[in-house]
Amino acid sequence: MSTILIAVILLTLLALVFGVLLGFAALKFKVEGNPIVDELEAILPQTQCGQCGYPGCRPYAQAIANGDKVNKCPPGGTATMEKLADLMGVEPEPLNAEAQSQVKKVAFIREDECIGCTKCIQACPVDAIIGAGKLMHTVLTTDCTGCDLCVEPCPVDCIDMLPVTQNLKNWNWRLNAIPVTLLQETGDKETMLEEDKRC
Amino acid sequence: MAFKIASSPHVTQNLHTSTVMQRVILCLLPGLVVQCAFFGWGTLVQVLLAIIVALSAEAAVMKLRNRSIKASLSDNSAMLTAILIGVAIPPLAPWWMIVIGTTFAIIVVKHLYGGLGHNLFNPAMAAYVLLLISFPVQMTTWIAPSTVVMHSPSVLDSLQLIFNIGAHVNMDQFRLGIDGVAMATPLDTLKTDLSMGLTRTESMTKAIFDGATGVGWFWVNLAYLGGGLVLLKLKAIRWHISTGVLAGLFVASSVGFLLSPDTQGSPLFHLFSGATMLAAFFIATDPVTAATSPRGRIIFGALIGVLVYIIRTQGGYPDAFAFAVLLANLCAPFIDYYVRPRSYGHSTS
Amino acid sequence: MLTLLDQLDKGTLWRSHGGIHPPEVKFLSNGTPIAKLPLAKTYLVPVPQVGENCTLAVKVGDTVLKGTPLTQGNSIWHLPVHAPTSGTIVAIEPRVSNHASALPVNTCVIEADGKDTWCELVPNELDSLSHQQIIDKIHHSGVAGMGGAAFPSHIKLNPASEIDLVIINGVECEPYISSDDRLMREYSQNILAGIGIIYRLLTPKRIVIAIEDNKPEAIKAMQVAVAQSALPAGSVRVTVIPTKYPSGGEKQLIQIITGREVPSGAIPAKLGIVVHNVGTAFAIYQAVVQGKPLVERVVTVTGKNVGKPGNYWIPIGTPVAHVLAETEFKPDPEQKIIIGGPMMGHALANIHVPILKGTNCVLVPSNQEIDTTPDEKACIRCGECANVCPALLLPQQLFWHAKAEEYDKAATFNLKDCIECGCCSYVCPSDIPLVEYYRIAKSALKQAADEKQQAERAKQRFEARLARLEEEKLAREAKAREAAERRQATMTGTDKNAVAEAMARIAAKKAAVQASDNTANVVTTAELKDAPQGKAAVAAAIARAKAKKAAAANAEDSDTSNVVTVKVSDAPSSPTGAISQDEPLSQKDKVAAAIARAKAKKAAQQTDKAQLETTDTADTADNASELTAADDKKAKVAAAVARAKAKKAAQQAETKTEDSLSQTTTTEAESTSYTLGEVNADAAIDDAEAIKKAKVAAAVARAKAKKAAQAVLTTAEPNTASKVEVEPELESVEDSQTQSSLALPSAKETVDSVATGSLADVQSAKPTSEPIETASLSSDELKKARIAATIAKAKAKKAAQEAHASSDSSVND
Repeated sequence: MSTILIAVILLTLLALVFGVLLGFAALKFKVEGNPIVDELEAILPQTQCGQCGYPGCRPYAQAIANGDKVNKCPPGGTATMEKLADLMGVEPEPLNAEAQSQVKKVAFIREDECIGCTKCIQACPVDAIIGAGKLMHTVLTTDCTGCDLCVEPCPVDCIDMLPVTQNLKNWNWRLNAIPVTLLQETGDKETMLEEDKRC
Repeated sequence: MAFKIASSPHVTQNLHTSTVMQRVILCLLPGLVVQCAFFGWGTLVQVLLAIIVALSAEAAVMKLRNRSIKASLSDNSAMLTAILIGVAIPPLAPWWMIVIGTTFAIIVVKHLYGGLGHNLFNPAMAAYVLLLISFPVQMTTWIAPSTVVMHSPSVLDSLQLIFNIGAHVNMDQFRLGIDGVAMATPLDTLKTDLSMGLTRTESMTKAIFDGATGVGWFWVNLAYLGGGLVLLKLKAIRWHISTGVLAGLFVASSVGFLLSPDTQGSPLFHLFSGATMLAAFFIATDPVTAATSPRGRIIFGALIGVLVYIIRTQGGYPDAFAFAVLLANLCAPFIDYYVRPRSYGHSTS
Repeated sequence: MLTLLDQLDKGTLWRSHGGIHPPEVKFLSNGTPIAKLPLAKTYLVPVPQVGENCTLAVKVGDTVLKGTPLTQGNSIWHLPVHAPTSGTIVAIEPRVSNHASALPVNTCVIEADGKDTWCELVPNELDSLSHQQIIDKIHHSGVAGMGGAAFPSHIKLNPASEIDLVIINGVECEPYISSDDRLMREYSQNILAGIGIIYRLLTPKRIVIAIEDNKPEAIKAMQVAVAQSALPAGSVRVTVIPTKYPSGGEKQLIQIITGREVPSGAIPAKLGIVVHNVGTAFAIYQAVVQGKPLVERVVTVTGKNVGKPGNYWIPIGTPVAHVLAETEFKPDPEQKIIIGGPMMGHALANIHVPILKGTNCVLVPSNQEIDTTPDEKACIRCGECANVCPALLLPQQLFWHAKAEEYDKAATFNLKDCIECGCCSYVCPSDIPLVEYYRIAKSALKQAADEKQQAERAKQRFEARLARLEEEKLAREAKAREAAERRQATMTGTDKNAVAEAMARIAAKKAAVQASDNTANVVTTAELKDAPQGKAAVAAAIARAKAKKAAAANAEDSDTSNVVTVKVSDAPSSPTGAISQDEPLSQKDKVAAAIARAKAKKAAQQTDKAQLETTDTADTADNASELTAADDKKAKVAAAVARAKAKKAAQQAETKTEDSLSQTTTTEAESTSYTLGEVNADAAIDDAEAIKKAKVAAAVARAKAKKAAQAVLTTAEPNTASKVEVEPELESVEDSQTQSSLALPSAKETVDSVATGSLADVQSAKPTSEPIETASLSSDELKKARIAATIAKAKAKKAAQEAHASSDSSVND
C-alpha cells in the first residue's frame, strides 16, 4: 500500500515540478506572432505582384502558414517554391503558372506615348513609378520588382516588360556563353592579322 | 584562327594526379622488396594478381559508365589500391581471396560511390576488412619470416599454394619455426600469450621476437618508413596524417606501457609491428577519404593511431589498421565540419 | 618588444600563407627601355570607365585635343575620362569591352588626326597648392589605381581615418609583367615626386616601397631616388621582399610588411594603411606637377608570339589589335590573348578592345608556352590548394559546394575572401579550374544578395504605400464629413439640391471604395466624365439632375448609381476637363487620341459585355453611310478610317461569332438609329470647329474600333492584331484631316467609293460592317462634342446593362 502511495506522491510532485517548469518556459520564451510567417515572407521575392491570388507577399505567407499551396509564386520560380516546401515540410510541386520566363524583368514606359493618366502609378505596389497627372511617367528601374501590375491598367499600352540586361557588374562569369569569333569571318577589320600571318 | 577563352590562371604546374599516384607506388617498392625477402614470393604474386584484377575491374566499370577507360587507368589509382591490398593480405592466401577483395574494392567501394574522389572509405582497407571478417582463418595465417622459418616457400610452392594446385605442398610447413612450432605474427603471438597469462617479457623470448620487435616485421616497417619519408620529400603526401598516426599510436602505447609494462607491448613494438608504417604513410594518407584541412588531418591521423592501439590491445583482432582507418574515414566529414582553418582577415573565434 | 615602426625601419618581414613560385618570364620584356608605338587610326574610349554617374561632355562630330575630358560628373565617385589623342569623335556607341565577359559598353570612338596635339596643360608649383586643390587635380586628371583594379586614387588619398603607413607597391608578382619594373628603373625620380605628394596629403609616419628581390635594378634605382629625395630622412624606405606569388596582392603585401591582416570585408585604411601602386605614384606626379591627365600608361607586351616584346607607353583607348600589329604579333591557329598576367589576367575573345587604365600587360603566349588547359578530372581532395591559398581558405570545400551550386554553403567557407589569385588552380593535380567555379559562385551570391536587398526594399516600399493609402483614405473621409457638416450648417435645408448632392457624394465615396473593383462602374463614370466637356453649365445641370436621382437611388441600394452621381457632381468643380474646346488643336488632338485608346482598352477588358458593345458600335451603321454622303470634308475622314477598318474587317472575316453578330447588328441598329438621328438633326454645322472636333471624333472612332475588334475576337490571340490596326488608322485619319482642310477634288471620289463600299458591307450583314459604322459615328460626332459624349454615355450605360441608367441618359439629352 505504502509503495503505491509513494509512487502517487512522487508522480504528483514530478508533475508539479514539470508543470511549473513548463509554465515558466512559456512565459520566458514567449513568441509574439507566428514566426513561420516571417520566415516564409523572407523567402518570397516581395514583388507584391498578387499572382498568387493574395494582395501582396505577406498575405500569401500567411496563407501558406495556414496550409495553402507553396507553388503559387511565379516570380520566385522553382527555387523559391523549393525553399517554401522545405520550410513547410511539404513535397515540392511544380509551379501553377507555367514558368513563362524566369528572366527578371523591369517595366519600361515608352515615354512619348505616355498620356500621364497616373493609372500605372496607382497600380504599382512598390511606388516605383513617378509622374503626375498629364505629365510623362517613368519607372525607377532599381525599385521595379517586375510584377507586371502596371501593364494591364495602362490605357494606351505604353508599358513594356523588358528583361534586365547583363552588364559588367552583374555578369555571371559563364565564359562558355561568350561567342568565339573566327577571324576570317569578320573581314576587313582583320586584315592586320592576316598580313601578320605572312611573317 | 580563333581566340581561346579560358578562366585565369592560364598556367598550371605539371604535377598531375597520375604523377602523384605513380610516386606513391614507387615509394612502396622498397617495402615490397623487403616483405618479399622475409615472406617469400607470395607477396609479389598477390600484388601482380591484384593489379590485373583491379585494372580489369576498373576498365569494366568505366565501360559500363561510358567513361574514358584510358583516362581512368592512366591515373594509377586502381593500381595503387591493388598493390596495397596485395601487400596487406597474407602472402600465401588462396587466389580467390585477392580476386574477391580487389573486385570489391574497385567496384563496390570505389565506383559505386562515384569513382575516384568520391569514395567514402579507403578501398584497400574496406576490402581487407571484408576478407578479414569473411575468411578469418586464411587472413590470419601468416607464414614465418625467412630468417626463423624451417622451410622457406619457393616460387613454385607459392604459386601452387596460391592457386591451389598440387596437393603435396602444405601451408602449415611454412609456418613452422626453426624450433618446429607453428608461428603466428608477433602481434598475434603477444596477444595470445598475454591472454594465456604470460607477461610481456616472457612472451618476448619467443623466436618470433628479437628482443623488442618481431623478426622481419621490423625491417619491413623500416622499409615502408623510408619510402614514406621519400614521399614526404617529394611532396606527394603532407606530413600531417602520418605524424598524427605515429604520434597517436606512440602516445597511446606509451601511456599503456607506463601504466602496465607487463601486459602491454612497448611503444617501439607497436610502431614497428604489423602494418604500422605502411598504414601511416601509404594507407591513412589517401587524401580522398581523409579530412581536408591541415589541422583536421592531424586529428584524423591521431584518431587512427589511438584506435589502432585500442583495438590491438582490447579488440579481438591482432592488427587493427583496417578497422581504425575505416572508422576514421567515417569521422572525416565530421572533423572537416568542425575543424576549419581561420581564413585571412577573420578573427580566431 | 619592438613597435611596428621599429620593425618597419628594420625591414622585418612576416610570412604570408601559401603562395606559389611560377616560372619567371620577366626577362622577355624587361631588357629594353620603355618605347613608344606609332599612333593608331582610331581609339576606343569606354565612357564611363570608373564610376557610373556622369554625363558625356562631347558629342559625335566634336573635335577633341589630347587630354580633353570626355565625361563630366559631380559625384566623388566619378572619374573623368580624357581623349588619348587629338582627333574627331566619330561615334559614341556600345563596343566590345576589354573585360572577361566581352559585353558591349558605351564607347567613344575617336578618329586620330595624327597630330597628337595636347590640350592646354597647366603645370603647377606644388607648394602653392592646398591639399584640396591637389586632390581635385588628381581627381580631374582621372588617376586610377594602375595595378589592375583601377580604383579612383583621389578617394584613397582622402581617407576618413588617420593613415600611419603608406605602402608603395612595386612588387609586381605576376610572372610575365615588367611594366612597374621598367617604370621604377627609368622614372624613379618622378615616382619619388609622386610619393612626395602622397606624403604631403596623408602625412603617414612611414612610407614603405616594397619591391620583390627579382628586380635588383629597380631596387637600386629606387634606393638612389629615396636617398636623393627631399622627404624627411627615415620616412621613406625601400623594403625588399622575397619573390613569391601573390605577394603583390594588397592584403598579402600588408601582411608581409606589417604582419597584420586586413579584417574581412574591411579596407586597409581601417588599419591605418594605404597601398598605392608605383604607376599610380607616377600618374599622381604627372597630374599634379605637369597638369597632365592620365591618358597613357606603360603596358608590357610580351609572350613568345610577339616579335618585339617589351614595355610601351600606350595611350588609353588604343585597340589591342593595333598594339599587336605594331609589335609583330604572329598568331597561332588557336591563340590565347591575355590581358594582365598569366595568373589573374583574362583572355580576350575579340582584340578590337581598348587598353584601359588598369591594363598592365598584353600577353600573347605561344601554345608551347602556355598550354591548353587539360580537361578537368576528379578532385582527389589532396589539399594542395589549401596549402597554397594565401587567404587560408579551403578551396576544395569551396569547389564541392560551388560545383553543386550550393552557393550559400560555399559562402559559409568564406568564399568572399577569395582574391581569385589562382594559386589553387595552379597546383591542382586534377586540373580543375577552381577560380572559374569561385567566380561563378561569387557572381551568383552577389546576385542573390542584390535580390534579397531589392526584396527588402520592395517590402518596405509596399508597406509604406499601404500606410499612405490608408492615411489618404482617412483624410478623405474626414474632409467629406466636414464639408457635409458645413453645408448643412450654412444652407439649412433651403437648397435641397445642394444638400442632396453633398449627401450623395459622401455616400457614394463610401460605396466607391467598396465597389472599386467593379469594372462596369468605372466604365460608366469614365464615360460620364466626358460628358461635361462641352459646357460646364450643362454638365452642372446634368450633375444636379443626377444628384437628385442618385440620392433617391442611394436610398434604395444601387452602388453603381452612387458612383455615377459622385463623379458627375464633381465634374463642374473642375472645369478643366480632359477635353476643352478652347485648347489648341494639336494638344487636343493628342488628348483625344489618348482618350480614344483609353476607351478601347477599357472596352476590351469587359469581355463579358463584349457582345453587346459590338452591337452598340454596329448599330450606327445606317446613319454612317448617310452622313458620309452629306458632308464631304468629314466624309473624307470617315473614309480614311473606313479604309483602315476594311482591312481589319477582312482579317476578322472568319471569326466564329460571325453569325450572331450579324444578327444583333440588324436588330440593335433600329433602336439606336433613333438617337443618332435626333443628334444629327440638332447638330449645328461649324466648319472650323468641326475640323477640330474631327480629330476628337476620329479618336473616339478608333477607340470604338478597337473595342469592337476585341469583342469580335474574344480570344486572347487577336489582341495584337487589333492593336496593330489602330496605328495605321491614326495616321490615315490625320492624313485625311489635312486633306479635308484643303478640300482636294480627289477627295470626293474616294469618299464615294468608300461610302459605297461601306454600304455594301453593311448590307451584306457581315461582322465586317462594324468598323465602318464606327467610322460613320465619328463624322456624326463632328457636330458637337457634347452630343458625342451623350452617345458614349448611352453606350456605356447599355454596356453596364442597367435599366435605369439608359433612362438617365435620355433625360440628360
